[in-house]
Amino acid sequence: METFAANLLNGLSWGMLLFLISVGLTTVFGVLGVLNFAHGSFFMLGAYLCMQIMHIVPSFWVGIIIGPLLVAGLGVIIEKVLLRRVYDRDISFQLLLTFAILLVLDDSVRLIWGPGYHVVEAPVILAGTIPFFSHSYPVYRIFLVIIGPIIGLSLWSFFHFTRWGKVVRAAAVDREMAEGIGIRVPLLFTLVFAFGTWLAALGGALAAPHQSLAPAMGERIIIESFIVVVIGGMGSFPGAFVGALLLGLLDSFGTSFAGRAQMALPFILLAVVLLFRPQGFFGREV
Amino acid sequence: MRKQAALLTLILCLAVFFGIPSAHAEKPVKLGFVYIMSGPFAAYGQFAKKGAELAVDEINKAGGIMGRPVKAYFEDSTGKPDAALRALRKLVYQEKVDCLIGLDSSGVAKSVAPSIPQLKTPLIITHAATPDVTGSVCNKYIFRISLNLAQNVKTAALLAAQTKAKTWTTVGPDYAFGHQSWEYFQKYLKEANPNAKFLPKDQVAFPPFKTTDFSSYITKVMQSKPDGVLISLWGGNLIDFVRQGSEMGFFNGDFEVLVTLGAATEVLSALKDKMPEGLWVGSRYWFLANQSPLNKAFVKNYHNRYNEYPSYNAHGAYSAIQAYKAAAEKAKSCNKDAIIGALEGLTIELPVGTITIRPEDHQAVTDACWGKTAADPAYPIRILKPMKIFKGKDITPAVCDTGCKM
Repeated sequence: METFAANLLNGLSWGMLLFLISVGLTTVFGVLGVLNFAHGSFFMLGAYLCMQIMHIVPSFWVGIIIGPLLVAGLGVIIEKVLLRRVYDRDISFQLLLTFAILLVLDDSVRLIWGPGYHVVEAPVILAGTIPFFSHSYPVYRIFLVIIGPIIGLSLWSFFHFTRWGKVVRAAAVDREMAEGIGIRVPLLFTLVFAFGTWLAALGGALAAPHQSLAPAMGERIIIESFIVVVIGGMGSFPGAFVGALLLGLLDSFGTSFAGRAQMALPFILLAVVLLFRPQGFFGREV
Repeated sequence: MRKQAALLTLILCLAVFFGIPSAHAEKPVKLGFVYIMSGPFAAYGQFAKKGAELAVDEINKAGGIMGRPVKAYFEDSTGKPDAALRALRKLVYQEKVDCLIGLDSSGVAKSVAPSIPQLKTPLIITHAATPDVTGSVCNKYIFRISLNLAQNVKTAALLAAQTKAKTWTTVGPDYAFGHQSWEYFQKYLKEANPNAKFLPKDQVAFPPFKTTDFSSYITKVMQSKPDGVLISLWGGNLIDFVRQGSEMGFFNGDFEVLVTLGAATEVLSALKDKMPEGLWVGSRYWFLANQSPLNKAFVKNYHNRYNEYPSYNAHGAYSAIQAYKAAAEKAKSCNKDAIIGALEGLTIELPVGTITIRPEDHQAVTDACWGKTAADPAYPIRILKPMKIFKGKDITPAVCDTGCKM
């Protein structure tokens, strides 16, 4: 029972972080049609900026609000100056460009904050542990498990019930038609990209209190996020949620029960999905 | 136009004129360094560079090596064997270095080792810990000044044998280093305590290198109810594991914990008071272990210059240069073959203590320090109290067991 509950919480909390990263990735892909390699670097930048702000104002909450906003500002600049130029080109240009952004951001972080490891402390009310069967469980992880669905639900309501959300979905379905009915698509693209980077940075800031900060810290999470996006369905919001939870739980239960095979599980899942349902769980037919 | 030409000529003349004296000065001794200077592990290259620059400056200030100044060349291995080999070749063929120093990753060291004889240049390894480079793939050109995996894990096994723990498991990175640490630990602990038991392969934890969330491994190990755990994670992995583990009660004392690289200063400085007290931790060099004047001066100079305590990688690079200097002075030559001859069997006092490089496998016989983490108001990081020093001869496997055939 204890093993089961611990694995459930472990899997859910990791899954929620994955979800935050994947949902930004999948939204940017769905609307802009860009596969953003630099997404993991925005995750990293969110964590570093949160840390930096906490050096000035020693409050995690200030860091987690301002840090991701700054990264979103950077997202606006990157979209307007760089990304905009490659929308109509071959997909390889987009991959090259976003990969270049990844390299530049990773090295900038190393130049600014050095190559060493940094640690961010959780806010006091979330720093403790609660009794958990015969041991204890960190409050911060439970906070992650709760905050994930809250963010997910608010995003979902935004996309389904607000005018702006509907505009975004419309532009994702048919860009030309959206332009035809008077939606300012270039502005919309800038905002959506900034929104995606904000989500990645928020994920980074949320991850900061439970993993160490180092350049290239976005590497692992971005690989798993791509798996999430593919199995959930490219551009699908519920797909990202289900995919992230599935991967998180697979990771925790797999570690306990599958032994050495655990590492292969995400990739086996990916292969099975690609074979039998190539559009992903929630993807539209291609 | 003519004025400019005249000016240019004048400058050229001056440059040549003033350039001449330096051409007459002693030819520098060139040392080439290859470390990880970019990517997630660039911190290790930085430590080595700091240690190397400190040694080079000290030696040059004191008159160089036999009157010749020392010049250092740094190259990036990027942590990949092909890039490391390119860097080593560049240093030898282009910069014409007299000696190679470096290598962080065991994987890199093992893959490039067979190619070193083609370069006909001695290589002093200062970090990579795989027993194989002074074992199964050893050769005439490769030396190691630092504590290797076998020595470090043998120390862990000797400590483990003194505890009451009977059943042991491990958490280690999922590549050769983690697996070899566990393999050697089982071998040495069985020798020291025949009653020791080890959890089977599918119950030990080898998280992949890129893991940032260790909770599932922490749960797995805690549920397997061992008496003792050997942790061979290092760097960022170890920092994440310790933080997440302490929150989940991993270090509450239900079992013994031995951390083979827990006394690394980069880990202790990142964790500060988040490092639990009372853990047995080891390292390849601990800056407070040796009370010799040489070590105290090294720590003081390093701290004055960089405002941090020397990590084992800084010590390794520093020591390699000192060993090279001693070898050159012993051989009275910087000829590469003469250096190799002089390094074999060289005994030298380093900050870590007096070491001897075995002529048979080129591994330094060096002391190891383990200790229990403890808070001390005089230091911003956890220090080791009490410390246990293990003599090099007690923890270095016999030459016949290393598998080295020169």
